[in-house]
Amino acid sequence: MTSVDERIRKTTLLESALRRPELGSIFGLAAVVFAFMLMTGPINAGLGEKNTFADMWIRSVGVQSWVELAAYVGILAIAAALLMISGEFDLSIGANVALGGHTFAMLMMAPDPMPLWACIFATFAFMAFVGFITGSLVVSTGLPSFIVTLGFWFANRGFANYLAFRNHDTSRLDIKPMLEERNVLKDGEIIAMPDPTKIDDIFAFKDGFFGWTGYVDLPFLDPFRLFFNAEFYYFIIIALLAVYILNFTRVGNWIFAAGGDPVAARAVGVPVARVKVGLFMWSAFSAGFLGVIFTLQSGVSEPLAGDFRELHAIAAAVIGGCALTGGYGSVVGAVFGAFIFAIVSRGINFVPFIDNNLFRVILGLMLLGAAMLNQLLRNRVVKG
Amino acid sequence: MEKKPTIEIRNLSKFFGNIIALKDVSFEVYKGEVTALLGDNGAGKSTLIKTLSGVYRRDEGEILIDGQVVNFSSPRGAAAAGIGTVYQDLALQPLMSVSRNFFLGRELSRVGGLLDFVQMDQITRDEMAKIGIDVADPSQPIGTMSGGQRQTLAIARAIYFGAKILILDEPTSALGQKQQLEVLRTIKRVRDRGDLAIVFITHNDLHAKLVGDRFAFLNRGKVIASGDRSSIDMDNVRALMAGGAELANLEREFAGE
Repeated sequence: MTSVDERIRKTTLLESALRRPELGSIFGLAAVVFAFMLMTGPINAGLGEKNTFADMWIRSVGVQSWVELAAYVGILAIAAALLMISGEFDLSIGANVALGGHTFAMLMMAPDPMPLWACIFATFAFMAFVGFITGSLVVSTGLPSFIVTLGFWFANRGFANYLAFRNHDTSRLDIKPMLEERNVLKDGEIIAMPDPTKIDDIFAFKDGFFGWTGYVDLPFLDPFRLFFNAEFYYFIIIALLAVYILNFTRVGNWIFAAGGDPVAARAVGVPVARVKVGLFMWSAFSAGFLGVIFTLQSGVSEPLAGDFRELHAIAAAVIGGCALTGGYGSVVGAVFGAFIFAIVSRGINFVPFIDNNLFRVILGLMLLGAAMLNQLLRNRVVKG
Repeated sequence: MEKKPTIEIRNLSKFFGNIIALKDVSFEVYKGEVTALLGDNGAGKSTLIKTLSGVYRRDEGEILIDGQVVNFSSPRGAAAAGIGTVYQDLALQPLMSVSRNFFLGRELSRVGGLLDFVQMDQITRDEMAKIGIDVADPSQPIGTMSGGQRQTLAIARAIYFGAKILILDEPTSALGQKQQLEVLRTIKRVRDRGDLAIVFITHNDLHAKLVGDRFAFLNRGKVIASGDRSSIDMDNVRALMAGGAELANLEREFAGE
């Protein structure tokens, strides 16, 4: 005989949707998009300013500016969100962007360099190793990851710039001479011409894959030429992969459990330490991945690449509904959080009546508001 | 034919340095029965549970399961031997769904690591129904379940994953009245299945009396009395629990003797 408990009721689809951690960030994104559409358009016009609506939302240069920033911060925010859900924290993400870029550039600048693809993969392997060391140190010492990764925040960028200065007398590494010249003339203008036979053009293309249309010269594809940089497409792939892992696989289950209650998770056989080390590797790899892409795109590895990005990524993850205490959060939320960050951050340039200096103020207030809203929503989940 | 105990504890002792946590503890548990293990705080209940579930190693004595001496040195080993322990904190994740909790660490997955939600939900619902809780929606977070229902979930999980001997660590202590009864009902239902031996650890003599078939009283690391329903003076249970003699001493002290 079974007794039906009267306190458990069937939940509707709407109710389950209201339990999702990314709920707050969906409204947040809608609000931010709406606000900036208003401010760039009608409000600008009403104040006698230039109507910048089309500049931000329609023209490709404007759209690129915030979509590509969202991709940059988003790839890091996904890593930060997964780590945060597992109960950990990585402050060294930003420094690792520079470490990855510098590692790659120095491999390219070696007296007898490996082929380009080998330099790329060697950098990836090295960055995964950096993540492995970071994660292992956190797990084995039991120190808070805040402290451990703060150490690496200092050390990783410092180490990269030290090596660069020592070997090349500058911490700004220019690899343009190593990348083959590919500028050609078209209609009397010099344009960068992507070459589908070169790995850097495939791997780190700028302004859209359809940039190739110039190479094969198909005019009907011209409208697509000014599309997004490679990192945007990687962002989509990484987001899909992370959603799949977190929500639909056993490893995802372990990530939640590791952050929710690690003792209980261990008691039922979840390999908590391995999960966490794996996520630190993901995090360092993501940062290094972006470092390599930016270095390839600009031909330069900057000493300050990724500066502050760890905080932007964490902010995006928190805006997206991740609990700093672990066990709760979502990848979709982090993606939305990254878009919110990027739209506010770039959008402010299109709104002349808001002083650019207020950007951080707005971001800070938004972070606080989002954190409070998310806490409210989270409590609702537990209380039903 | 004489009934054989499913698990028999013989002269079990556990020391921490010079502290004797358990000394010569013996009792047995039979299939389809509940052995209530009673004791006050500090009587050694927790040490006993942790020794039986492989967290601590015993220093002396034997544990026999189905007549065979077993030696295990880890919670995994104990689980493999058929001992399922439901701790007071239940090892559950409040923000995760019912079926995710049920299968945590032992998830069912298909090709590509994809979790088999349909089957996991179905099994969770079936196993919970078997011991009396109807779960309408296994995808709801267990934070929304009552304490009694969570106990039931932890018990159902232990049974489904092969426990022959179920150790329940104070399952009623952190609950409200109504939920305590719910858990007692669950214990009774599990007992009536007839294929599980249950160790019910409690300091509540009323609860022990309700569902217990056998009783063992732990005081200061020793079993001070044990037996089945017929051989134990039920009225004396409460006195035994508080450590009989001490209570009598206190009574005399208060009386000014």
